[in-house]
Parts: sequence; C-alpha cells; structure tokens
Amino acid sequence: MEETEFADVLDEWFIETLKTYKDLYVYQLENPTQVIEWTSEKNICVAGNSLSKSEILELHLPQRLFAQEIKGLCTERDFKVVRGGFTDGPVCCLVHVPGTRCAVTNDGLTSDLQVWDLGSDDRDVIRRTGGIRGSRNVAGSGSRIAAQPSSQPQVLHGAWSSDVQLSNVTSGQTLYKLGPTSADPLTSLQFVSNCVFLASCCNGNIYIADTRTSAAPQLSPPLQSSPCDSVLWWADASSGLEPCCCRVIRLSSSGHATVSDLRNQKEAVSQAQLNIKTRCCCLNHVRVSWAPALDNCVAVSGFDGAVQIYNTSCWGTALLEAQPLFQHCGHAIALRSNDVPVCITSHVWHPERPRTLLSAASDGSVHVWDWVDS
Amino acid sequence: MPEIKVTPLGAGQDVGRSCILVSIGGKNIMLDCGMHMGYNDDRRFPDFSYIIQNGRLTDFLDCVIISHFHLDHCGALPYMSEMVGYDGPIYMTHPTKAICPILLEDFRKITVDKKGETNFFTSQMIKDCMKKVVPLNLHQTVQVDDELEIKAYYAGHVLGAAMVHIKVGSESVVYTGDYNMTPDRHLGAAWIDKCRPDILISESTYATTIRDSKRCRERDFLKKVHETIERGGKVLIPVFALGRAQELCILLETFWERMNLKAPIYFSTGLTEKANHYYKLFITWTNQKIRKTFVQRNMFEFKHIKAFDRSYADNPGPMVVFATPGMLHAGQSLQIFKKWAGNEKNMVIMPGYCVQGTIGHKILNGQRKLEVEGRATLDVKLQVEYMSFSAHADAKGIMQLIRMAEPRNMLLVHGEAVKMEFLKGKIEQEFSIDCYMPANGETATVTTNPSVPVDISLNLLKREMALGGSLPDPKKPRSMHGTLIMKDNSLKLVSSEQALKELGLNEHQLRFTCRVQLQDPHSDSDTLHRIYTHLKSVLKGYTTQHLPDGTVIVESIVIKVSSTPEDANTKVILLSWSYQDEDLGSFLSALLKKGLPSGLC
Repeated sequence: MEETEFADVLDEWFIETLKTYKDLYVYQLENPTQVIEWTSEKNICVAGNSLSKSEILELHLPQRLFAQEIKGLCTERDFKVVRGGFTDGPVCCLVHVPGTRCAVTNDGLTSDLQVWDLGSDDRDVIRRTGGIRGSRNVAGSGSRIAAQPSSQPQVLHGAWSSDVQLSNVTSGQTLYKLGPTSADPLTSLQFVSNCVFLASCCNGNIYIADTRTSAAPQLSPPLQSSPCDSVLWWADASSGLEPCCCRVIRLSSSGHATVSDLRNQKEAVSQAQLNIKTRCCCLNHVRVSWAPALDNCVAVSGFDGAVQIYNTSCWGTALLEAQPLFQHCGHAIALRSNDVPVCITSHVWHPERPRTLLSAASDGSVHVWDWVDS
Repeated sequence: MPEIKVTPLGAGQDVGRSCILVSIGGKNIMLDCGMHMGYNDDRRFPDFSYIIQNGRLTDFLDCVIISHFHLDHCGALPYMSEMVGYDGPIYMTHPTKAICPILLEDFRKITVDKKGETNFFTSQMIKDCMKKVVPLNLHQTVQVDDELEIKAYYAGHVLGAAMVHIKVGSESVVYTGDYNMTPDRHLGAAWIDKCRPDILISESTYATTIRDSKRCRERDFLKKVHETIERGGKVLIPVFALGRAQELCILLETFWERMNLKAPIYFSTGLTEKANHYYKLFITWTNQKIRKTFVQRNMFEFKHIKAFDRSYADNPGPMVVFATPGMLHAGQSLQIFKKWAGNEKNMVIMPGYCVQGTIGHKILNGQRKLEVEGRATLDVKLQVEYMSFSAHADAKGIMQLIRMAEPRNMLLVHGEAVKMEFLKGKIEQEFSIDCYMPANGETATVTTNPSVPVDISLNLLKREMALGGSLPDPKKPRSMHGTLIMKDNSLKLVSSEQALKELGLNEHQLRFTCRVQLQDPHSDSDTLHRIYTHLKSVLKGYTTQHLPDGTVIVESIVIKVSSTPEDANTKVILLSWSYQDEDLGSFLSALLKKGLPSGLC
C-alpha cells in the first residue's frame, strides 16, 4: 500500500471513529507488551517480551482522560513514564499485589516468578527484590499468576493445574497447594473472593478451590465436550460481587462461549457462537474478561487484531450466532501487504469507567478507548 | 583533559524556558534564549550573571544560536542583546528570522500595552536585535570564526525549527532544540546524519513521555468542530498567521469533503496573504505532500474555505472561523469572540499557548467572566477547548535520534536527575554511553577524547617501519621514539636528531653505572663466562654477546667483572648502560644481585 493510500485509510477510519468513540488515544511503545496491569487508579504497568532483556514501565495515564468538568481545558494526552526497570528475559505475565508497591512477573519460559518493588515517588527505578520458585520447571510453559485480594502479600501461581500453589511474596514460603487434579496446562488463575479461586485449564476444565482448606477442588468440565481435541478453552469470572452472584464465562478456540453460575457449573445460563476468525499464528494471548462496570458485557481478544465486546444478556440457552456489541479494530486498520498480521496481546477494562478499555498489540501499539453505545 | 562544559541557565526545577551555555574548545556558545512564560518579574529572563556579573556579554560569547521561533526559546533574545548587551552574531534559520520578530513584537505589545510593564524590551530593540542575525541554511557549514563551525539540520516541530551541530577542532556538540520524529501533515520528521558528536543535548521530557498520535489529536479537534456545527453553533479558532492554521485548514478541508458538510469555513484575509508569502519563501521547509500541493495550486484555494468578512460574524447558523491574533488579545479574533462568547452552543478552540495577560490565557484558566473595555463584563458561556498540536518527540523518538547521530555522550536538560535513574540506566545500557543530567544552573563537564592530528617526518616514518623484522600489524599499536614539535599551530613528529638540529642543541648521552658484589670462587674470566651463560638463558630474545675483550654485552649494556683486592672470590660486577636501556639495566642489576644459580657450568 502506498504511503498516501495508507494515510487515507487511516484518515477514513479516524473519521468513522468520531461517531463510534467518545475518546480515543493511540500510542506506540518502543517494544510490544503482552501485559497491561493496573497498579493504581491512574497508573498501569507494561513490559517488553524480548528474549534477552526487557523493560518494565509504569505509566501514568493522560490527564485528559480523568479531567471531568474542565476536560476541555486539559490538553495533556500523553502517557508519562514514571518508573522503569530492567528484566533479564521476557515478561509474559505481570500481576500487581493490591495494597502494596509490589509486582510479580513470569517469563513464560519456566514456572519461576520474579518479585519487583515498583518504587515510590522519589525514585524512578523498578527493582527486582526476589523470586518465588515454581514447583515444576517445564520448558516453554509459563505460570499464570493471581494476587490474593487480602492484606497479606500473597500470590497464587502455577503453569499446570497440578502445581498450583499460594506463596508469600516476601518470604517465598508456600502456604497452600492445590489438591489432587489431573495435570492440565492452565490458561488462567483467578480469585473470586478472598480465598476462593478458579484454575482454568486449556482443555476446558475449571477447578474451584478454597485456599483455607486442603480438600480436593471441585472440578467443572466444559459443558459440551468438543469433538476436536485441539480445541482450547479460556475462562473468566465476574468479580466484585458476592461469590453467589459470580458468573463464569468460558470461551473455546472454535468460538463457543458459555455463561454459567459459579455455584452451578453443570448448566449453562446462556451460550453463543461468537464470530471468531483466528488470524494470529498462536493463541497464547487470548483473553476473555467481564466488564467491571458494565453489566453483562465481556471483552474478547487475542484471535486477531481486534477487541470484541459482547453483551451476554442477549444470549439465550440455544447455541446461536452472536454479533459483537462493538469491535475495536484500530490496531490492525491499515496493513501494508508485506506486514505481519497484528494480534492483540492484551486488554484490560478500566475499573470504573464503564466503556473504557486499554488494549495492546504485537506491533507495539497501545490504545485507550471509550466507545459509544449505539 | 579536554572537556566540554554544558550549563542550562535557569533556576531550580523550572522548565519553562531554554537557554543553554556550552564551552567547547575555548569557545562559548549560547543555545536558545527563551523567556519563562510563567513569571512576571525578572525570573522570566535567564540569569546571565552566570556568564558575567555586570556588563555586556559580547566578549564572553562567540555566538548565540536560536533553534526556532517559540517564545520559550527566543523570547528573551532582545533583552539579552539590547538590555544586557551582546553585539556578536546570532544564528538562526531563515524562517525563524522572518517569524521571530513578529512573535516578539506581539509578545511585547501584550506585555507592555496590556499589562503596563516597564522593564521590557522595546520595538526598536527587537529591530536592533534582528540586525545581528546571521541566517542559516540547512546542511550548510558556517564558519563563525577560524575554529568554530556550525551546521543546521531539519528538526520538524514548527516551520524553520533546526537542530544544530557545533564543531571546534575535533570536538562537537549537537543541540536538538524541539523536534519530532514522525512526519505530520505539513512538516517532515527530524533528520541528522551519523555525525557522532561528543555530546547530544536534548530535553528530558521527551524521554519520559509516550505521545498520543497526531491523528488522535486531530480527531479530537474534528469531533469538537463537528459537534458544535451539528448543534448549530459557531467555532472560533484564533491562530497565529503561520504553521498551525494551514495544517488545521487542510484537515478541515479533508473532513468537510469526506462528510459532505455544508457549513461555511472562513479564514481572515490578512492571514491568507501573509501565509502565502511565507510559504512561498520557505517551501523547502514543509513536507513533500505540501510542496506538491503548493506547486499545483495556491496554498489557500480550498473548496470549502473562503475569505472572511467581518459582517459574516453576525450571520445565523453554524460556521467555523480562523482569525488572528492567536491569543485573543486584540484585533479580529477578539472582536468575534466578544460577539460569540454569550452563546453556549458556540465554541472557541485555542490551538496553542497563550501568554499571561491575554484573554486567551484567562479563559484557558477557567475564567468565565471577563472585563472588557468600558468596564463591561463579558460572560463566557461558549465552550472553551485547549488543544495542543505541537509535534514533539517522545521516548521512542529520542532513542531513534540517538541511533541516528551516534553521540559519544548524552545530556538531558530540564529533568530532575534524582528521578531519572531509570532513564539514565536505559541510555547507558542500550548505547554504552554516559548520560548527564545537569540541573538548572549546574555545569556538566564531559571529558572528550579528541583525536589530535600530527604530521610525521618521512625519515622518522621510514626508520620506524624498518625496525622489527615481521610485517607491521596495522591493528597493533607500536611505541616509537620521536620528538613532538608544536610550532605555529601545527604539530609534527620528528626524530630526536632532527629535533636537536632544529633547536640547535647538542645531544647528550646519559650512562648509568652500577656495581654488584658477588661471591664466586672462580677466576674473573670464568665468572664472566658464567654470567654470560646465565644471562643468555634468562634473556631470550635479546642479543647477549661475550666479547673477546672481556666484556659481556646485552643490547647497549656492558658488563665487566673484577675481583676485590682483599678477596679473590668476592667479585665486583660493573654494569653500565645508556639511558635508553634503563629498564633492562635495572632488571639486570637486580637479577645479578640475587647471585648466580648453582649448576652453571
């Protein structure tokens, strides 16, 4: 595509966005990130994924995003790099331990974790303060991490369902180990309350366990066994509410999505066939997440260069095709013919603003967008 | 050690102005001379007492270089040259020279006429200052004097902005001023060759920012304009005659065309003429696309944008108007503002910074009631939007620039060193160069390693090349003996003999003598022979000879043996060597002091 054509396509898209987005910010990082993690109300962490050496950056969101009444008078639209640190390898997973200035990372190559001090106002360096050993070192398989929402700095981690453990971040001490499970690779770990968590496996199994007991976890297999073994599964549980109102969404790589009640995993409350066309060469970055401030909405990304928003309240019990409520295609808008297809590597919802998301892609772009409900 | 000193003038942490002093190779250069827009008193001027407590600066500065026409880079220039006093050359690009005086005059008018200030430069001072300006062309080396040369590079950012390369002898510095690395609608991106300066000086804010794309800012602008038009409101965009206005016009034209919009867009006539005039002059400073457009047709023959007539301001219905001046401090834009301010459906979009004292500055600070002439109050009900379109580089951009220029050291100004450890580490790690961060008023001293060109006499070269059997290895340094003569600013290396001849001196020889006592129950000649055998085995690679006249010779060292009169077994070894063989001589005397090893035949 010629330079002028490229510019024209971009212009077209931007003009379209006048009606479809309330706010749109587009940034280009030096290196692509696989992680976007909130570290405070206005700060996020991103990190590089180069094999030899990467950076972890803590970025302060643009002022204009937060300015309410005087928004028009605030011209500041840029990210500020407030802190940075260097890692010895890629960062595939980064979790902030709530209530602290501590973050835990995993490099996606082993199951060991690195512990970081995100620093404070008077210093701009993010320092490695220690590590936590994973229980099994399997090459090529990284750990998932979840921070326990309690006063103790503890994280749940593991690469396989059989080696999930809860460790104290400062001492590295293992406080809990997930009881007997089959050994399935994990796609996510998530706390739904202070002690109850979900370990979602890529074969569709979800284990529900409680860190206070050593009893065997509850196993919830996928609701419909898939004919094809190579189908992968991801899951997310809605948070912030009592566990009794918690819902779980499961998504397969063939686009089959089901919503069920956490306490009754045997039945699907609703389901839908999502319109997913895989364009990415690998599905390591698939993410499905419930909106924290927009009822019944989920975001799906990682199959191609777009982030899709679905409203699950329109889904019924029969398996029908569902159309996304909204699609953010900005990352892959104008591709030149010899360009590698762009894939979304991560997305997060803003914790309070109902329609604001941040998304990152394999070309190093990071977008902050607030879409309009048509 | 040769060094370059860099001092950003200013106090504490203030970042509002640029004025940097560089001392290189005995020359003193001032880079930019900005005004701090946040202060009303003398703090807005750079503190020149750093250079000299009282008096004119002419003798202390070899030149002043201004990077571009923004007031935080040139606002204090007339004060410096006419009120403090400087008569030397002031360098800037042609567009900067053309635009600076206009901005300075505007600024002066606002400050003096509107705010009634007295300690400020006059119109005449601006004119006198500009008389000292020597314009620069891009990529053209200019000799400031015999030793100092400067060259300007394209910086993007605004019309006429330049990055400057300064060279004295084999030391050099590049100052970036403000620049950007991504081209936009009317300006290209900064570019510099692999000039490998000793220091690259830039702003630390670039390195700690990740910039929102230009298109997003433009989108915001279009959205605001569109929303206002849709509800039947009017949009006023106060602009300075050059630069931003053209860019925004191109943007609106494209948008109007695409969306098939009918609302009229107007452009003050005064703007059109001036803009055309300047663009014709400085067409090489814009980007490729603009140049093509300009060549094809007149810059301002837009389909949807027409010339404004003051009566149009009263027309009903939506419209967009570009009017001067840019800070709403007088003239047409202020008139229109007064008419439209009372209606909340309307909007004013300020595309740039407004100086204190102007209406623009007041409304950007949230003031909703303004005092206008005749003590009347103006209720500001229209929407006020502040949008910055300035193209600046960011963290990614600064790394790109470092890769382009390959400096030996990096220097960032206007940052808090304490809070920039990560950035410093990043630059040091990625490029293996030092990163300096002097605070305002603090001097950073950078040691350079300049190469010193020296001529070598042919004879000496031939002689040195003849020594040593094997072929010379170009990669392996070799030490040689010669004399460096510095005469009339040139340096040459000659052989010692030639130097002595030139200086008319006699050569003196220096010989050392040392006596070592040794117990050895042999005859003198046998002892000598034993010494010879010993030395021969130890000193491999040296020419050790046992001469028939009763001496052992190693290089130039002569060894003789005699016995003491009291005891035939107590030998006295006499060593004598010339100054050139000092090392070997000392080594041998120490060796022989240890005695001869047993088992020698």
